[in-house]
Amino acid sequence: MDNNNPLSPHIQIYRWHISSLVSISHRITGIINIVAITVVCFWIASLLLGETSYEFTKIFLNSIFGKFIILGLTWSFSFQILSEIRHLIMDLGYGFELKTTKITGLIVIIGSFVLTVLIYLLGKQII
Amino acid sequence: MHNVTKKWLFLKASSVALIPLMIWFILGLISIFDKDYIDVVRFFSNQPSKFLVSLLLVFAYFFSALSISEVFEDYIQDKKIKNAANKALYIFAIIMPLITIIIIFNLNA
Repeated sequence: MDNNNPLSPHIQIYRWHISSLVSISHRITGIINIVAITVVCFWIASLLLGETSYEFTKIFLNSIFGKFIILGLTWSFSFQILSEIRHLIMDLGYGFELKTTKITGLIVIIGSFVLTVLIYLLGKQII
Repeated sequence: MHNVTKKWLFLKASSVALIPLMIWFILGLISIFDKDYIDVVRFFSNQPSKFLVSLLLVFAYFFSALSISEVFEDYIQDKKIKNAANKALYIFAIIMPLITIIIIFNLNA
């Protein structure tokens, strides 16, 4: 049987709201995270090549750009974690009121930056 | 139970499992990314990291495959293209974690 369901309209036709910003960011960070995890898979595979071959990776990861990438990934994972928790709460039937969706959306956006700093400081054992 | 209901339940179960795994992984990544070769190998080859990274890979690829197939459902109308895209996605989601887990279990610190 042919599926004649209409396709989702493209995002540019909607007026931007906090909810739509969180929703599209959730998809984008999801893609970034799975690409990052795939890169981690290659990083793990590269360990088989030995210590000498690892020098280039180490230099890259210790550079400003490398650290920026890691910090960016921390934010992307933090956003995904908070947004996923928001989704799970909504799946339980809570937080559908317009005002509540705006508040929880803001919590996800602002909280992702706070969580990024917290995770970085904890990971580096600064706190 | 409908297939779409099962898919939704799998998606939600994997997202619940992924939340603590992602927190643990990103903390671990920050603690080792700028370290020496031997420290990185030790992180991936010692327990519980070995087990938790494997678990993260399985759940992350499973969750991503289900989520991306939803995006295909939303934006691809041609059935043949959608089926081909889904098959490629599922093959990738099985092969990538499988190979990496084999590598992790063969790493020696």
